[in-house]
Amino acid sequence: MSGRKKTLLKVIILGDSGVGKTSLMQQFVNSKFSHQYKATIGADFLTKEITVDGGKQVTLQIWDTAGQERFQSLGVAFYRGADCCVLCYDVTNEKSLNNLASWKDEFLIQSNVANPADFPFIIIGNKIDVDESKKIASLQKKLNNVTSNQLGGLNYPVFETSARDAINVEPAFEVVAKMALQQEELNEAGNDVSDDYNDAINIHLESESSSCMC
Amino acid sequence: MTGDSKSSGSTLVTPVPHRPGNGESTHSRTVSAVSHNYSLLDIYDSPSPPPPPQGFGHTQIDENTGSVDIDDILEQPDITASTNDNTDLEIKTVDDESTNASIAVDLSSSTQTSTTASTNDSQQFTTPITSYPNSETILKSKFDRYGFKKVSSQVNYSNDEYNDWFVGYTKYSSVIKKKWTLLLKSNGLKSSTSPPTRFPPKSDKVKKLIRKGIPPEWRGNAWFFYAGGYERLNKHTGVYERIVKDTTGIHNKDTEVIERDLNRTFPDNIYFNKSLQGSNTTNEDILEASTITSLRRVLTAFAHYQPQIGYCQSLNFLVGLLLLFMSEERAFWMLVILTERIIPKVHSANLEGVHIDQGVLMLCIKEYIPHLWSILGKNFEGEQLSEDKILTRLPPITLVTSSWFMSVFIGLPIETTLRIWDILWYEGSKTLFRVSLTISKMCLENPEFQVSRQNSNSEVEQIELFQFMQNFPKTILDPNILVDHCFKKIGGYGFGSLSQDEINQCREFVSKQRAKLNNKKHTALTAEMSDDERRALETAGAFDGDIHDVYGFHRSIMSGVVWNKNISNIMKKKFTKKSK
Repeated sequence: MSGRKKTLLKVIILGDSGVGKTSLMQQFVNSKFSHQYKATIGADFLTKEITVDGGKQVTLQIWDTAGQERFQSLGVAFYRGADCCVLCYDVTNEKSLNNLASWKDEFLIQSNVANPADFPFIIIGNKIDVDESKKIASLQKKLNNVTSNQLGGLNYPVFETSARDAINVEPAFEVVAKMALQQEELNEAGNDVSDDYNDAINIHLESESSSCMC
Repeated sequence: MTGDSKSSGSTLVTPVPHRPGNGESTHSRTVSAVSHNYSLLDIYDSPSPPPPPQGFGHTQIDENTGSVDIDDILEQPDITASTNDNTDLEIKTVDDESTNASIAVDLSSSTQTSTTASTNDSQQFTTPITSYPNSETILKSKFDRYGFKKVSSQVNYSNDEYNDWFVGYTKYSSVIKKKWTLLLKSNGLKSSTSPPTRFPPKSDKVKKLIRKGIPPEWRGNAWFFYAGGYERLNKHTGVYERIVKDTTGIHNKDTEVIERDLNRTFPDNIYFNKSLQGSNTTNEDILEASTITSLRRVLTAFAHYQPQIGYCQSLNFLVGLLLLFMSEERAFWMLVILTERIIPKVHSANLEGVHIDQGVLMLCIKEYIPHLWSILGKNFEGEQLSEDKILTRLPPITLVTSSWFMSVFIGLPIETTLRIWDILWYEGSKTLFRVSLTISKMCLENPEFQVSRQNSNSEVEQIELFQFMQNFPKTILDPNILVDHCFKKIGGYGFGSLSQDEINQCREFVSKQRAKLNNKKHTALTAEMSDDERRALETAGAFDGDIHDVYGFHRSIMSGVVWNKNISNIMKKKFTKKSK
């Protein structure tokens, strides 16, 4: 119960440019928000240790990515070995909501995961602190439409957050950690779908063989 | 972020009132006249400055042409032409150009347009910083001389550390400036009254001084001069202004992303973020900095002018930094020069240039820092990556290094970035590779990295290296450390010997290999491919040769590495010439 085994879980944050990916990561990892984040070029990651239910210690390695579409061609290297993917949109930007499905597809193509239908995605709608009038009209309906039609109706968890006011960010990432851990254990049980590609980023801090399911 | 979105959402509307002054009614007629009648270039003759010393212009042009030719094998054909065609014009403009006002504005005033509005515009929106606060002021201020916060979350040093460095560096700069003044004087150029607009022709002496740093207040002019900006500008007089007029108020995919990035460009710089200037207004919308307005215009104009690039994130930083040193119009042409000649295709829609240049960089690391390559060039099982793999699937570290290229080292402490830019505009794209290698090797040799590598397996090593290489550049406060490491043969790494030829050949090699592999993939998968890509493949000669060629660096020529046919031929010719 005391978390003898530390597991490193790799999480990828995707979404259109400007939806708040960097802010979400910063708020979760460093509990801070700034109006002064620069646009992300390339990718960046931060790590944070948290305890998920059952007392298991995990290290989340959270990857923040550039949102502009063309940067996807550079993403190949670090999608692989991901344990969970966070799809973000901006509640004031309908296009960013409609692009969720493309982000999901892109991720699945690039990451080459074993069972795409079972891979854990989570959806985060950010910027709920903004004025109601700026939000997407009938957001709930549109969101339902996107999740049930475009995202395959796979009941992905949905969170509405404010990275600025630290609303719902922590709970969202707790779910991320939980889902990622399940995925990781699943992979290990399946003896890892390995491919020949240099998957440097998905690392385990301790021996993979010691199993502890507590 | 939320705040950003609020303000950028609204700025979609706010800029419009600023714009009419720049390209409306009477003004616009002039613009179109300019665009269709290049004889207006004659106006450059009228003020008739004293003719430059005979030969000066030609030497300089030759130098520039030379730099164009070697600078990139992927360059577009018209560039050399433009350089040659405008020999005369170039010299005259160098004399005429008033430092602050954009040429476009000068032009319109000379053609009897009502210019009040546009002149105001130019003063308000396009004037780069030409005078800097004195060092006493800077020591007390939160901001450096370029308007950046001295200490921010981006950097790893304290205000005191900054000031300590700054005092020493100020002394250094003033010594260097004296050297520059002497150099200009010995070339019959004046520098006393205002920043010089003309600089000595390229030579070893000038190159050495460039590497020591250009005086901050001369930077804009020197960059523009040595990058061949005048040739561009003269060939395309009035074009920028016309594009601005054509693109004012347009909305498309590019402008949407541009709007989102404007306020995320240099939020820690007072010229980009008015809220830093101490006013306690909360409404960011009415506070759009004039530099942001300029940034919007240049980026929008560029996206229109180079549709194969459009807007690519990181261009905002490049233009932003240029705008601190030169007018909008000049910043625009510098961006064109950078994206066409120095780092072609790096910002294009498929980022092919990033893949090529990162492939080249990885090959360079493999060749010149083999120990580093042994860490980052492994796959998950600890096997070394083969060269085929390098070229099609870049190692994860390239996510770090590709942003060095795309933003041309913006993100390092600013003086260090500027010193790299000094060299880049003068020496060309090899600078990017030399500096990247230098930073990489400095990372590898850093004691902190060495310590953390103990007791870790290769995967941990790689992830640590990634993080280290991501953060280490932010600590290079003193540019001289980087420059010395790069160029010094004794006590440094001597990467100055990595030649432009070598880079060009390696770029060509990687580009061809990628094309071949892509083509192979294409025929195997009949995957979707855009017309552009297909055309690029065809022009790159994707359909001949063996894909298992191996690129050899100069050093390994003698070691009998298998050569790409074309490169072998080029090299054979070269070496026979040399031996004669």
